Amino acid sequence: MTNAISVSGLVKTFGRTRALDGLDLTVGTGEVHGFLGPNGAGKSTTVRILLGLMRADSGRASLLGGDPWADATDLHRRLAYVPGDVTLWPNLSGGEVIDLLGRLRGGIDAQRRKSLLERFELDPRKKGRAYSKGNRQKVALVAALASDVELLILDEPTSGLDPLMEAVFRDSVAEEKARGRTVLLSSHILSEVEALCDRVSIIRGGSLVETGTLAELRHLTRTSVTADLAHEPDGLTGLPGIHDLRVEGNRVSCQVEPAHLDELFGRLAAAGLRNVTAAPPTLEDLFMRHYRTAQPGGRERQHEEAR
Amino acid sequence: MSALTGAGVLARLIVRRDRLILPVWALPAAVYPTSIAGSTAALYPTAESLRSVAGEAMANPAQLATRGPVFDASVGGLTAWTVGSSGAMLLGLVSMLLVIRHTRVDEESGRRELLGAGVVGRHAPLAAVLGVVFAVNLLIAVLMSAVLMSAGLPAAGSIALGLSLAAAGCTFAAVGAVVAQMTRSAVAARGAGVAVFIVFFLIRAVGDAGGADWLSWLSPLGWTLRLRPFAGERWWVLAPLLALVALLATAAHALTARRDLAAGLLPPRLGPATAAPGLRSPLALAWRLHRGQVAAWSAGFAVGGLALGGAVSGGLEGQIDAPQIMDMIARVGGEDARPVDFFLNYLLSMLAWIVAAYGIVSALRLRSEESAGRADLVLATTVSRARWALSHLVIAAAGPGAVLVALGTATGLGYGLSTGDLDRLPQVLGGALIHLPAVWVMTGIAAALAGALPRLAMAGWGVWVVFVLLDVFGMLGQVDGTLLNVIPFTHVPWVLLGQMSTVPLVGLTAVAAVLTALGVVGLRRRDLA
Repeated sequence: MTNAISVSGLVKTFGRTRALDGLDLTVGTGEVHGFLGPNGAGKSTTVRILLGLMRADSGRASLLGGDPWADATDLHRRLAYVPGDVTLWPNLSGGEVIDLLGRLRGGIDAQRRKSLLERFELDPRKKGRAYSKGNRQKVALVAALASDVELLILDEPTSGLDPLMEAVFRDSVAEEKARGRTVLLSSHILSEVEALCDRVSIIRGGSLVETGTLAELRHLTRTSVTADLAHEPDGLTGLPGIHDLRVEGNRVSCQVEPAHLDELFGRLAAAGLRNVTAAPPTLEDLFMRHYRTAQPGGRERQHEEAR
Repeated sequence: MSALTGAGVLARLIVRRDRLILPVWALPAAVYPTSIAGSTAALYPTAESLRSVAGEAMANPAQLATRGPVFDASVGGLTAWTVGSSGAMLLGLVSMLLVIRHTRVDEESGRRELLGAGVVGRHAPLAAVLGVVFAVNLLIAVLMSAVLMSAGLPAAGSIALGLSLAAAGCTFAAVGAVVAQMTRSAVAARGAGVAVFIVFFLIRAVGDAGGADWLSWLSPLGWTLRLRPFAGERWWVLAPLLALVALLATAAHALTARRDLAAGLLPPRLGPATAAPGLRSPLALAWRLHRGQVAAWSAGFAVGGLALGGAVSGGLEGQIDAPQIMDMIARVGGEDARPVDFFLNYLLSMLAWIVAAYGIVSALRLRSEESAGRADLVLATTVSRARWALSHLVIAAAGPGAVLVALGTATGLGYGLSTGDLDRLPQVLGGALIHLPAVWVMTGIAAALAGALPRLAMAGWGVWVVFVLLDVFGMLGQVDGTLLNVIPFTHVPWVLLGQMSTVPLVGLTAVAAVLTALGVVGLRRRDLA
């Protein structure tokens, strides 16, 4: 299987800010790929480079087998894009924008357009200036989803949608996936990513920090364990892979890396297990860990956002 | 909470946001009348020469239409005549755009909502911006009067000139406040405001050129001239101006109280649910986006051309008693040139400057489409950057052509109706259209900047203003002739006086094409914002 998107060592600077710092990203054909990162991590910059709207300073990017800058117009026939902040022409109706963008991409599926409008409960007769943020987003989503393309690039597409519409969005992306389309989904909404994505890449400060399937990523996270014991435990403090350990009399709580679950439970069982809860690792834990460690770079990120 | 709570804070915010625009506008506006006075004094050192230039101006209907009558043949009187109309335009239009910027634009972008949620009274935002703009106009008046007096001009006239221009600024600030309440978008508000200005300008122009004084009294732009700075000041004219400002400001506040945030007075209309079959190319999209402006500008220039063409040619069939002006006409058009042709051509050249401004507006669409992010939507499809840019630029080139056709046809019609000689219509139309290559150069400058140096795109306006100033000072003989060659309009032949030469037209068109190509190439090579 070939890769729909393959990026390596991508660098992009704006003045003194390094927005992308050697980014690697691989999206396989037919997969729904979650693209995660804190604000200002470089997600939108990556997307804009992939769309040929910007040129990288160095590094290699390949999109659907072509060069995103040089082959932009040919490649765009095969993809659809939804920006995070959709602005529409104030005096064009939503329906006109959907048709226009579809035609500029080389055709739109009328049946699908109709059903998407119904599902997203969008009135296509309203003028661009009359739509709320969420409705502008829906216009761009319907235009993209109704197009006959191989790749969907969605940059925080649900940022203005209500929970009901988010559910509609998830169903629609699931359908796209079933049709064999590739989706790059940049997002902040973890439940959305967990529900939809086959693989996830997390970036921070312009470079990749984690990539893999959800199962692989979960493997990297810690399980939180709380146990009531018969006796006070001993020998827990020195164990490898144990974090945030708290012992209060016979009660123990801690975080443990998956590789060290065995040893921990061995010790706990030795002290007489009376009750135990083990919370499975969530993507959110993983996320928070990466986001928190991103804090020292916070000033740099704000700088970039202020651009 | 009173309706004006927070107005002070908002006023400071406005001053902070416009801390660059305000001085860049106000300082030159306050000082340039004095430099005009200096040039006038240097150019016409004797009472005799002052009288002759005043007589020349009063005999030229095109001058009467654009600047109004000369009320006194003195350095002060001619200064007031030179800056009276252009100064009212400079202060009036900028004041109006500033008010719209801090009312309708803020509402459209949602910034107003951010503030409205704070401790801000219902009337505070409008009161704040009107307060700031009125205050800046008064400051301009004070500074202008002081500089004029320090240059040795009479105190009463200096003060009267400052106040008359500030009154124009305040009037159109208040017009801006009203249209911002009545329309639903900033574009519509600006369009409506400029239309009001043009109507008042035309009423005054037709009144002054046609010798119908009563008509000029129907326009506030006629009033500000008739305050008569340096010509026996009529101070009481300030009273109706103040009353009009108060009336408009009150009306704007009353409208604010009656409508919801972000809404206009007219209810939103629904559009079609599907696009027309033709809306399938970037060119079709560009036409859709520009067509309203093309129609509005064409209509405006048609009305203006009809009125001015008629006013200028009325009663001008014979010769004129001003030897100086006959000399000038003879210099440009030869011994046989008819004054009416000279004046018509002069009028068309003046209006072509405004058509050039429209060309710049159209070309800068590239920039606004890009910075608003709408260009991304189109460029993420199979449309290439060059195709996208050229779609807008084709319309930006054709639009001014349509406007010039409307202007030429209407002016020829106005001329024909007032003289009974409709056969000259094609020639007058040609006299308007001949300016198109020069207009294209101005459009091309804006296109080159928007494409290659997007951060400097607004400098397209700077170039326009510099050219206008060069032209004004060039007519006063203060600018070296070779420098005047940078102005594209310098090279346009006076066709109505029988001049015709294709070389400059081809040259101008080539320059415009090169500039446009630079813009497109620049756009293809850079990152999009």
